[in-house]
Amino acid sequence: MKTITRTLLFLFTGILILSGYFPPGRIQYSHPPTLPLPVDTVLYQIVDFKDDIANDTLVQSLSKEGYPISYTRHLRTGVCFDNKCRPLDITLHWNVTGRYLGFELPEKEFLSKYDHEPFTEAEYLRLHAILTDSLSALNNFHYNEIVPTADSTYEKVDAVSGATSANVLEHVVEGAAFTTYKLWHLVYGTAKQQAEALTCQRLTPELIRLILNSTHPSDKIWALNHINGYVQPTPALRQAVLSYIDGKDYNLTERALNSITAADLASDNLQSTLAQKLLEANYSTQKLLLAKLNEAPALDGKARKLLAKNIGSFSGQVISNVLDLFLRHHTTDAETCRDVSDLLLVKNPFISKKAYAFLIQANTKDAGVQKRLIQYKTENNLIEVE
Amino acid sequence: MKPWIRLRIKIRAIKINSMTKMKRRSALASLGSISLGISSKDFLLKEKEVPVNAFYSIKKQTLKTDILVIGGGTAGVIAAIQAGRAGKKTILVENVSQLGGTTTTGGVAYPGIFFAWGKQVISGIGWELVKEAVDLNDDTLPNFSIPHGRNHPRHQIRLNGQLYAMLIEEKCVQAGVHIRFYETPTKITPQKNGWLVETIGKGVNTEIQCNQLIDCTGNAFATTLAGYPVLREEVTQPGSLMFQIGGYDFEKLDLNLIKEKYQEEIKKGTLDKYEFRNNVVGLLKSQGDNISHVMGADSTTSESHTLANIQGRASLLNTIRFLRTLPNLEKLKIIDVQNETAVRETYRIDGHYQISHEDYVTGKMFDDAVSYSYYPIDLHDEKGIIPKHLNEGVVPTIPLRALIPKNSKNLIVAGRCVSSDRLANSALRVQASSMGMGQAAAAAAVLAHTHGTTPLEVPFAELKNLIESHGGIVPGLV
Repeated sequence: MKTITRTLLFLFTGILILSGYFPPGRIQYSHPPTLPLPVDTVLYQIVDFKDDIANDTLVQSLSKEGYPISYTRHLRTGVCFDNKCRPLDITLHWNVTGRYLGFELPEKEFLSKYDHEPFTEAEYLRLHAILTDSLSALNNFHYNEIVPTADSTYEKVDAVSGATSANVLEHVVEGAAFTTYKLWHLVYGTAKQQAEALTCQRLTPELIRLILNSTHPSDKIWALNHINGYVQPTPALRQAVLSYIDGKDYNLTERALNSITAADLASDNLQSTLAQKLLEANYSTQKLLLAKLNEAPALDGKARKLLAKNIGSFSGQVISNVLDLFLRHHTTDAETCRDVSDLLLVKNPFISKKAYAFLIQANTKDAGVQKRLIQYKTENNLIEVE
Repeated sequence: MKPWIRLRIKIRAIKINSMTKMKRRSALASLGSISLGISSKDFLLKEKEVPVNAFYSIKKQTLKTDILVIGGGTAGVIAAIQAGRAGKKTILVENVSQLGGTTTTGGVAYPGIFFAWGKQVISGIGWELVKEAVDLNDDTLPNFSIPHGRNHPRHQIRLNGQLYAMLIEEKCVQAGVHIRFYETPTKITPQKNGWLVETIGKGVNTEIQCNQLIDCTGNAFATTLAGYPVLREEVTQPGSLMFQIGGYDFEKLDLNLIKEKYQEEIKKGTLDKYEFRNNVVGLLKSQGDNISHVMGADSTTSESHTLANIQGRASLLNTIRFLRTLPNLEKLKIIDVQNETAVRETYRIDGHYQISHEDYVTGKMFDDAVSYSYYPIDLHDEKGIIPKHLNEGVVPTIPLRALIPKNSKNLIVAGRCVSSDRLANSALRVQASSMGMGQAAAAAAVLAHTHGTTPLEVPFAELKNLIESHGGIVPGLV
C-alpha cells in the first residue's frame, strides 16, 4: 500500500514537472527532460552514494517503453562552516544521461544566505545556472579554499557572506558560497554516475537514437559515446550517426566516427560513404576520416577508387595520409599507382617526394608509371641508395 | 690487475682510437643522420674544420635555405612544418634539446583554446599535432560543444608532453625540415635578397643564408638582432616552474592547520607568499602543476633564464622542506619537475599594427586577419590570476600587420612576441593562438619567397588560400 502511494505521488510529481506546473509556495527550477515522454513507472533504486547523507534511494522515472526519463534524489543534510551548521532540504533531478535538470524545495522551504536572508529570485536563477554548468571551476576548489586566509592577497570582504575568496566569488551565489559549493558537488557526484549506470542497463539502439535527437550537445555526445561496446546499431541509428560526420561540430564528428568499429567497416557501403564524405570535408574532418579508414580490416575497391581519383585535390599532408592508408592496406595496384604518379608532376616537392616514395615502395611494373619515375629521378638528380 | 679489468681497458682504448680516426660526418651518418632528416646535405654551400687546438676543431658551415625559423617552440614548430609542407627548403634552429618550448620543455602541456562558442577557430597543423598526441596517448578531448563558462581550462587539452615533443619532431622531419638543436643566433645581417644569420652551437659555427626569416623565439630575439626596436614592460608577468608532488592523501590533511602554519612561515619570512600564489591548499590539492610563480622570470638571455630556473627550483625545494614538517605530509615527495621555468612575458615587436586590449575584447575583425585567437585576458601578477572572460560570441582576430616589425623586409614573427599592448598580449600569448600565428606567418613567408616579395606585400587572397589549404582557419571564411 505504501509503495503504491509513493508511486502515485511520484507519478503526480512527474506529471507536474512535465506540465510545467509549479505548486504555489513551492520553489522549483528545472530544465525540460531530454525525452519528452510521459512518466509511466517509478522505480526506487537503492544505491551506494558513498557520501555522508542519510539517503540511499535514487528515484528512476520510466516511460511506457521503459526509457529512463529522469532521476531524483531527496537530500536532507547540513551546510557547515564557521563551526555552525544549517539544514538543507532539497530534491535534485537529473535526466536520462545524468545531466542536471533542476532542483525543488519542499513547501514553505527556502534557501537562505549567510545572514539568514532568503534567496531572491535572481539568486535562485543564478544557483540554477551554476548547477547547470558541468564545467564550473567549483570542481577544482576544495571546501577549505572558499574562505581565504586573513592576509590573503585575494581577500575581498563580502558584506553578506563574510570573506569569500575573490576567485571563488564569481562561481557561487554571493552570501551562499558553501551552499552553492555543496550542491554543485552533489549534482556532479556519485548520483550522476549512478543515474548514468542505471540508464546503461536499459540502453537500446532506439533509446540512443532518441537521445541523439536532444537539442543539448552533451546529450548527443553521451549517446555517441554509448554505441560502441553497448549496442549493435540498427540502420536507423547508423544513419543518424553518419549525419553527424559533417565537420559542423568537431566533437560530434569525432565522437560519431569513434562509435564506428573496425568490424563495422567491413561493410563496403560504410567505407565508401566515409570516403565520399572525405571529398567534401574540411581538413580536421579529413584527418579523422582517414584515421578511421586506417582501422578497416581491408580497404574496399570503391573507397580506394574514390580516394585515388581525387588524390590531387587534397592538401599535401592529406595526400601523405592517403598514401599511408594505401600502403597500410597494400593498395599498390597499377591503377592506383597511375593515379598517384600524377603527383610526381606537382611543383611542391613535399608532395612529389611523397608520391615518389610511395611508388618506389609499391614497386609497380606499369610502364607508364616507370617512365614517369625515370623522368622524376632525372629531373631531381636522384641516385638510388644501395 | 685482474685479467677482466685489463681486457675492459683494452677494449675501451681501441674504441677511442677508432673514434678519433672516424670523421665527424661519417659519425653522424652512422647514426642515421640522413634518414632522420638531420643531414645538412641539401642545404650545404661550404664547410670546413677550423682547428681550435691540437685536439679540437670547430666545424664552420655555410648553409642556404628558403626559409629560416628561429625558435622551435609552440609557434616555430608549426611555422617550420607549414613552410616544409608548402615545398620550401626550411631550417629550424632551436637552442635546447627538443622542440615544443613551453608545451614540452616548460611542461605547460595543455594547449588551448582551439574552440570558441561551440565552433573550431584554430585548426590546421597545430590542431593536427595535438589531436595525434591525444590519440596516441588514449586521451579524450573535452566536449567543446558546451561553453566553458568561467572555467576556460576545461577547454584546454591535457597532453603527454614528452610524447608531443617526439611527435612534433617526427612531423618536422617528415616535412623535410632541417632541425638544428643546441644552436642560437649571434648575428643577423640584412642581405640583398634576405638575411645572413650566424649561429653558434656545440662544435659548430654556422652561417645560414635565407630569403625569409621567421622569428619564433618568443622574446623577439631575432628581431632585435636584425636591428629592429622591441617593446617591454617595466614589470613582466611571473613565470612558472611546473612540477608534480605526491606521497600524501589530501583527504587526511588538516587544511586549517596547514594554512595556519604556512602563514606563520610567511610572516617569519622563511616562505614567500607570492611563490605559490599564497595558496598552500591549492598547491596540495592540485599536487603541483601550474601553481608556482617565479617573479620576474625572463628567458631573454642565458643569465636571466638561469636565474629564473634557480629561483624556481630553490623556492620549490624550500616549500617542500616546509611541507614535510607538517602532519600527514611527512612523506611528501617530488614526482617530477620540468627542466626549466616557463616564461610568460618578455619582449614584443613594434609591428605595423599593435593589437589593443579594445581590439581584443571586442573581437575586431581586421581586413588582413590571418588567424583567430581565443582566450580570456589573463594577466598573472604577484596576487595570482583572475581571468577576464570574453563576452559571448567574441572571437578576436590577428592581423598580418601585427606579425611584421615596422620597416622590416623579409622578416615576420609568430607567437607571444606579436605586436600588441600588454593586456591583449596576456591573451594572445597562449599556445593555440601561437600555433595559428605560426602557420599564418609561415604561409606569408612561403608566398613572399615564391613571389620575390616581403610578407607584408604578398597577395592576400593567395595567403588565405594557402593557409586554408593546409587546414588553417582564416577569419572571415568561417
